[in-house]
Amino acid sequence: MTERAAASGSLSSLREANRALVVETVRRYGGLTQVELAAATGLSTATVSTLVRELLAAGVVETTTTTRSGRRAQLVTLAKRVGLAIGVQIGHRHMRVVLSDFGYDVVAEQSLPLPPDHRVDTCLDRAALLAVDMLERVGSALDDVVAIGVGVPAPVDASTGMVSVRGIMRGWDEVHLGHVLHKRLGRPVFVDNDANLGALAESMLGAAKEYRDSIFVRASHGVGAGIVIAGRVHRGFAGTAGEIGHVQVDPAGDICRCGSRGCLDTIVGAQALIEPLRANLGSVALRDVIQLAVDGDPGCQQVIADAGAQIGAVVAGLGMAVNPQCIVVGGELAETGEVLLGPLRDAVRRRVLLNQIAPLEVVPAELGQRAEVLGAVLLAIQSSDFGGGGAG
Amino acid sequence: MALNARTRVPLLSLSGITKRFNAVEALVDVDFEVNAHEVVALVGDNAAGKSTLAKIIAGVLSPDAGLMEIDGEAVSIANPSAAHALGIATVFQDLALCENLDVTSNIFLGRELRAKLAIDDSRMENVARGILRDLTSRIPSVRTPVSTLSGGQRQSVAIARTLVGSPRIVVLDEPTSALSVAHTAEVLTYIERLRDLGLGVVLISHNMNDVRAVSDRIEVLRHGRNNGSFSADAVTHEEILGAITGASVTAAHARALAI
Repeated sequence: MTERAAASGSLSSLREANRALVVETVRRYGGLTQVELAAATGLSTATVSTLVRELLAAGVVETTTTTRSGRRAQLVTLAKRVGLAIGVQIGHRHMRVVLSDFGYDVVAEQSLPLPPDHRVDTCLDRAALLAVDMLERVGSALDDVVAIGVGVPAPVDASTGMVSVRGIMRGWDEVHLGHVLHKRLGRPVFVDNDANLGALAESMLGAAKEYRDSIFVRASHGVGAGIVIAGRVHRGFAGTAGEIGHVQVDPAGDICRCGSRGCLDTIVGAQALIEPLRANLGSVALRDVIQLAVDGDPGCQQVIADAGAQIGAVVAGLGMAVNPQCIVVGGELAETGEVLLGPLRDAVRRRVLLNQIAPLEVVPAELGQRAEVLGAVLLAIQSSDFGGGGAG
Repeated sequence: MALNARTRVPLLSLSGITKRFNAVEALVDVDFEVNAHEVVALVGDNAAGKSTLAKIIAGVLSPDAGLMEIDGEAVSIANPSAAHALGIATVFQDLALCENLDVTSNIFLGRELRAKLAIDDSRMENVARGILRDLTSRIPSVRTPVSTLSGGQRQSVAIARTLVGSPRIVVLDEPTSALSVAHTAEVLTYIERLRDLGLGVVLISHNMNDVRAVSDRIEVLRHGRNNGSFSADAVTHEEILGAITGASVTAAHARALAI
């Protein structure tokens, strides 16, 4: 996330800073009335009114009439023509592409099933084609896209846009993901880990939006976590912060993709969940196990509940380190609701230091399966160079 | 709906199917089965016999020899209506749509809904709209003539047809070959949904990405014979190609060729 350095004290630079603040706030909330803007920015209503008029003239925002508590008010939103953002989430067996405007309204979305061990070149190619297809569908063009955000199920080094740990996504290690897509689509591309993006989305738009500090746990084919501190995602130096899937839980366990022994992923990853069910159910996919658990199959529920307890034990450790206000649980396994969440919450509550200030909430993700791809959109919007009068 | 693999009877089972056209051995002693809640891909080179097998399942052709069973009971599928009555729906590569008719008429062709004796247009339109909405199709109006639709939209109409009459088995012959990525995505998502609803889906495709994305099992045909049966989550792209091209020959195939 780029920080705008505060300009020194002249009046025009103050005005510049205030204008940027108004734009940033409107972007953050999607749409606010002028009164709400004043409250959120701390500026006076008169200043807000002047700034909005200037931004309106510059074509950066648009206003519409709306009502608030029975009174007419001017709703300020970023002008749609300012742009669209594309969010791409590459999962283990699915890819999601979403077109969103700057108010975080999803304008178009598409999901594509992927083969196991999907190849990086085909995958990125299809992502690009899907994006272009969807733009046509809404009558826009690549020029309208301000930036593209991409989420992958592996830790990412933000400065290069490359996967930062070898072996987790075979074939994806040496590729400059952002660069490849940038060449195809000609727009700025920002890449991050999918759990980090889920954390970003839930903290800005979802279950953690009332909190400054939160953790997002993504329980899917593998497990990952995103950490939000003071409203910002903490990635760590090489982008591996939150990789709870690779915390060792069994010193005598199987070798993980990352090369270590007994990682959490080796006991709660998709293969580890499906294997014990093979005798009863034959060959099933993870989503079958989840559906059966939702439908009440005891074997599947058992497997997922145990996974919840094991994930919770590791998340408790992360909770001790970060001391968040809440833990949001998402990813496909979370579709089973309390089957996963109950044991996870118990394990966390049992091991995290109770404090007098606030209980540690463990809640399901509000944005469901879209958390990561909306996080990709947020990443794109936040990372794009934007500020009163700045070039796209 | 039980997923127990051990005791279930296949929805559709073909054993020892043989079909000859004069000197051409289109299919020789082919076994094939589809279970409920399963996507089986049928792959192979051109002239491997995939479309012939699909036509036999659809009732367009009759085998010269072999046994066909539905739910474990022997059946003989004499014509497409018999196939439809047995719960088999098929979408062929050429889509078989009537250009002069609109979307609704095509969806209900041959199975028009009637109110007493007259054709119930408004009910058909409502049902058609509902089906297309479920398929997240972007066809603006169900009264649009099919001749004005794009390739992907026509595919949606052809697939929508399969949902009329509650089929239990859906056979799709090259459903994604002429489509954009977005339409491919919709078709593949649709196949996943059919499987999750408990249907058996037979997917004929030469696109290995699509096949491996949605299939549970992959059956390879080579020169009209079985040449490999693979579990989709374990097999590699290369192993399937080996079976298709004969770079690796299964024992059964080797016997047949007297190698």
